[in-house]
Amino acid sequence: MAEILKVSNVSKHFGGLTAVNDVSFSINEGETVGLMGPNGAGKTTLVNMICGSYGVDSGKIEFLGKDITRLPPWKRCKLGICRTYQIPRPFPELTALGSVVVSALHGKDRPNRSLEDAYMEATLYLEFVGLFSKRNVLARDLTLFEMRGLELARALATQPKLIFVDEVMAGLNPGEAEKAVRLIEHAKDQFGVTVLWIEHVMAVLMRAAERVIVLHYGEKIAEGPPKEVADNPLVIESYLGRG
Amino acid sequence: MEFEFKRERLVLHAGGQKWEWRIEPRYWRNPLIYIGILIAAPVIVYFIYPPLLPTIIEANLLAAIAIPLALMTMSTGRMNFGPQFYIGIGGYTAALLSIHFHLNPGLTMVAAALGGLVFGFLMSPLAIISGGLYYSLLTLLFPLLFIEATLIFSDLFKGDTGLSGIAPLVSTGIFSLNLLIYAFISLAIMLVYLFAIDKIFRSRYAIQMAAINDDEEVASSIGVNVNKVKILGFTIAATLVAVVGWFYAHYYQAFSGQVFLPLSFMLKIFMVTMLGGRTQIYGCVIGGYFIAFLEMILIRTTGDMSPVLFPIILLILLLVLPEGLFGLYRKRHYREYMPTLRFRR
Repeated sequence: MAEILKVSNVSKHFGGLTAVNDVSFSINEGETVGLMGPNGAGKTTLVNMICGSYGVDSGKIEFLGKDITRLPPWKRCKLGICRTYQIPRPFPELTALGSVVVSALHGKDRPNRSLEDAYMEATLYLEFVGLFSKRNVLARDLTLFEMRGLELARALATQPKLIFVDEVMAGLNPGEAEKAVRLIEHAKDQFGVTVLWIEHVMAVLMRAAERVIVLHYGEKIAEGPPKEVADNPLVIESYLGRG
Repeated sequence: MEFEFKRERLVLHAGGQKWEWRIEPRYWRNPLIYIGILIAAPVIVYFIYPPLLPTIIEANLLAAIAIPLALMTMSTGRMNFGPQFYIGIGGYTAALLSIHFHLNPGLTMVAAALGGLVFGFLMSPLAIISGGLYYSLLTLLFPLLFIEATLIFSDLFKGDTGLSGIAPLVSTGIFSLNLLIYAFISLAIMLVYLFAIDKIFRSRYAIQMAAINDDEEVASSIGVNVNKVKILGFTIAATLVAVVGWFYAHYYQAFSGQVFLPLSFMLKIFMVTMLGGRTQIYGCVIGGYFIAFLEMILIRTTGDMSPVLFPIILLILLLVLPEGLFGLYRKRHYREYMPTLRFRR
């Protein structure tokens, strides 16, 4: 499998606080990689750096062999990187369909794309996440589960190669969480995306991820198959503390 | 001949024949009806009471400033509190070129628009580097700095008194006929702005702007070039507002920063925008006429008290109608107006 993302020695400091310190890893095409760690471990900061929301203090990020360390977020999106948010951030004043249309119009470059084409394509992604019947509802009026579905549809409509799924289980009941996990697995199969899955819930990553990276206090403490990582004493200590 | 009103139909019986017209509210939204009213109004006023023509011109111009301002607000997701700066740019450019180089109004218009374009482009990064209160304060500051500049360089700008002797746009020799022609030119400017920006608001660019208004960071993360949209929207709007400044200069044949640059003029534009409904361009037309006529009535009825009463009445109206006059309609039809504005806090 070809390498799709390569992160080399990236660091990020906020004043005196080191949020991410010298982290390196790579993701191969078609893989599902889990990123886990306790609260404040620097998972979301790392994703923000890869997506371009935060600048990188040191280190290098390469996507499909191209250095994207200094590219703005919209250019990274056009290359094929997209994300969902831990706390859903829909466009509250746009309808569900309108929100996905923005992605379908932009995202990956599609020549001669008209607004009507974008509307047509947006309905496909809404249908995929089961929100077609709510296409004319304002995004702010959707339930939390539906907002997460909308975020996934919005991300998929950019036609990404690599998608970051940020704590999709947060705030969902067990039934909804199960549906959300299945939805992401289907997205991976149907659209052939590579997934970096940030999650607290160990059981989900055990089931879905092929490889897991663990961060603690901004540093990578473990990487490997889920079973191996779960048995790693450093990981157990970071979650449960020293006995 | 007999008129009958039944089931939302107006029926005319005449000579054994019957004609029916549907008068359902959805047919009232035909823009041609309102364009017809706007075109007919100056002609009617010209024949009945010509002193009202300047109020109509003022209303058209206020709307012509508020409409590009709606575009600027939509595309940047921020409220510009100094649109009169570009009126100053356009007005002074036209005035100086007309007085010193005797350029005709056509050329001064091109120069004023270019002035607006250049200054708009130079100031557009403000919408990228600042937000919320800082952006509002910065934009508020520029017209005030411009006033100071006109006083400091009074050799050029003639300070308080302003520049006079600007070539008129029309001179038929009959004062009221001149006013009628000015009214039509101002109406043409306003309608061109209205339809051009309406076209933008129905295009793919509107959906980009709506996304930027809602969440800039997310918009950027799904591929929207936020800075490009902001710079384009800001620059285009500044250019259009500068052309209104050009019109003011040639209409009054004099131009002074003391009239157009102070906060009181900004307040009027702001009220047109707020009363019409933020970012609602059709609301801007209603707001423009409302404010121009309200000001005229207050000046005629209350005289010296009008500068005090005018803002008080407007503040009360803002409290009663927080979403503006157009908001009353939009409340019932919110899905028809896709891009709406949510202010950055």
